[in-house]
Amino acid sequence: MRAEQVVVIGNERGIHGRVATRLAGMAASHGVHLFLRHGEETVECSSILDVLALALARGTAVGLVAEGAQAESALAAAIEIINAQDDSDHDPPG
Amino acid sequence: MTHPDKEDNQIPSGRSLQGIGVSPGIVAATVVVLKRQTLRTGWYHLPADHIEKEVDRFAGAIKAAGDELLHLREKLADDLADALSIIDSHLLMLKDRMMVERTMALIRHNNVNAEWALTQALSEIKERFDRIDDPYIRERFADIKHVADRVFDLLSGREHGPLSGEDQPVILVANDFSPEDTLRMQASSVHGFLTEKGGITSHTAIVARSLGLPAVVGIEHATSLLTTGDLIILDGGSGRITLHPEPEELQRVQEGNRQDRLLAEELEQYIHLVSETVDGFTVRLSANIETLGELPAVLRFGSEGIGLFRSEFDYFNGRRPPSEEQLLSTYQQLLATMAPYPVTVRTLDVGGDKFLNRFPGNKAWLDRERNPALGLRSIRFSLYERDLFRSQLRALLRASVHGRLRILLPLISAPVELRQVKAIVAEVLAELAGEGLPVAEDVEIGMMVEVPSAVVMADVFAAEVDFFAIGTNDLIQYSLAIDRGNQYVAHLYEPFHPAVLRMIQQTVEAGHARNIPVSLCGEMAGDPLCAPVLMGMGLDELSMRPAVVPRIKRLLRHCRSEELRRIAQQALQCGDSDQVRDLLARQLPHLYPREFYQG
Repeated sequence: MRAEQVVVIGNERGIHGRVATRLAGMAASHGVHLFLRHGEETVECSSILDVLALALARGTAVGLVAEGAQAESALAAAIEIINAQDDSDHDPPG
Repeated sequence: MTHPDKEDNQIPSGRSLQGIGVSPGIVAATVVVLKRQTLRTGWYHLPADHIEKEVDRFAGAIKAAGDELLHLREKLADDLADALSIIDSHLLMLKDRMMVERTMALIRHNNVNAEWALTQALSEIKERFDRIDDPYIRERFADIKHVADRVFDLLSGREHGPLSGEDQPVILVANDFSPEDTLRMQASSVHGFLTEKGGITSHTAIVARSLGLPAVVGIEHATSLLTTGDLIILDGGSGRITLHPEPEELQRVQEGNRQDRLLAEELEQYIHLVSETVDGFTVRLSANIETLGELPAVLRFGSEGIGLFRSEFDYFNGRRPPSEEQLLSTYQQLLATMAPYPVTVRTLDVGGDKFLNRFPGNKAWLDRERNPALGLRSIRFSLYERDLFRSQLRALLRASVHGRLRILLPLISAPVELRQVKAIVAEVLAELAGEGLPVAEDVEIGMMVEVPSAVVMADVFAAEVDFFAIGTNDLIQYSLAIDRGNQYVAHLYEPFHPAVLRMIQQTVEAGHARNIPVSLCGEMAGDPLCAPVLMGMGLDELSMRPAVVPRIKRLLRHCRSEELRRIAQQALQCGDSDQVRDLLARQLPHLYPREFYQG
């Protein structure tokens, strides 16, 4: 299964370390491949360094693509993570 | 900053170095200087049949580094959420293809040793990160380097340094420490550390603060200036390092620490007791904090709420003002963690010039204020930059369903400001209702009493707000016309000035006449000499640094309310501050020998 959506990053500091860490953890726990697409570049969220190197700031539109059995729920969780805030210690379920 | 020749090992007694204090606490101990060997990047060519072995050796080091992190993670207390998250990101870096696959490819492709290949991979990553404009993301390269450094160590068979091997208390000195190094210092003989690199927002600093481990960073050449065995005093608050301290100074620090430990042990038993006098008169003892990271300390020391949450941190932590969602997240956690205790959030309390300079592009004419203390600051700034204020109010009100919220308005000097704020709050409430966003019904709105006009008009204001919070630091400054930062007049800054005491009393009476609670959140609240007088004046709540709460609670629990009232009345009748001090010096040790036996 494959699910995708374009989202505008709502997080104040963009996709920084903590968000990237959560995206990778969530993708692993959902058993999906999660990709971020920005401009010409597509990176897999399992690489925190690839994700950080995109330096995605707030307000940037990115394509989110999830592939795997739980693609839909992973995509929803990813959007939540991207729009959640910095200091939250509460990971979304999953 | 002092900067002697590197060769100069005879640093005179009492000489000091200035760095950045990132985690408060004063310790005296000998230093252990850890120097990282730099020969690790040696290159050697591998015969073809050794290549897969080299890849395996590298994979083994990666695995060992990961196991170490997992092991460290398991041992961590749940309340070290920041540290957990940092370790998780380091675990991901250890698995990252840019680090692992790239290094393996380089080993295979160039027939080189793992150290050399990893160095290459790292410089490729650095090149990518150097191109990033965002300083917050660019700064994460420091984390990548910490992770890689551990792999280098494991490749060369190096164990962890003497992070926990010493018996005597030590202060560690190094070019830099990783957050994990810092975690390993916990519960060891390491009593503090200092580094050449780093800043207040580095992950290492964050971990040091959450562990309460005194730390100073940013002392250039520290590993050359200091030699293992040097005795120093490290002040993690001011960032000052004193080399070879005079015996008296050393003794003072050591005695202070010994007393602190004894006191801490004794105070432990008070943490979970109710804050009330012998005859059952209660005063809420709450905490002043500015970041969520301080919440574990608040709970640990038994505060019964947050009496002052300084909300500025979110505004100074990024390149833009925070979004409503970011603030919402902060306030939600704050309220939910403290529930059912009340949380008092002071709205943005900054000088406009300072604030707008950080986010340039508009209002350049504000850059210089002739009298910043009397200028566009605090509530005046919020009423000027209304969108910013509305966003904070929206976040606060939306968070209110997660706990007990009290909104505190700083620097109110005239009733018109209060009316303007109330009109905005009403609009925001209507907006939120229209959007279907719930708001708690019991949100209280109060004001800081910190300008003399607010004291004089306290009876009028009391009819308009749900509570008063007296801010003594500003109240003293404004009523005595003293700038504490000015060395020529700082001695006139006097909490026991009868004018200050009378203003506090007047505010309490005006509040109580309208049945609204009155709290006090300034340094006076946590001072054992001031607190009895304040309690005797009838303050309902004293808000102070979290760590001071047990001490003030012990004092309170040995008091009788009529004694406190009598002392307060006598203090109010004194003609000058010396008389107040004499009075307290005579009476308090007599009444509460446990608190004042040290004189």
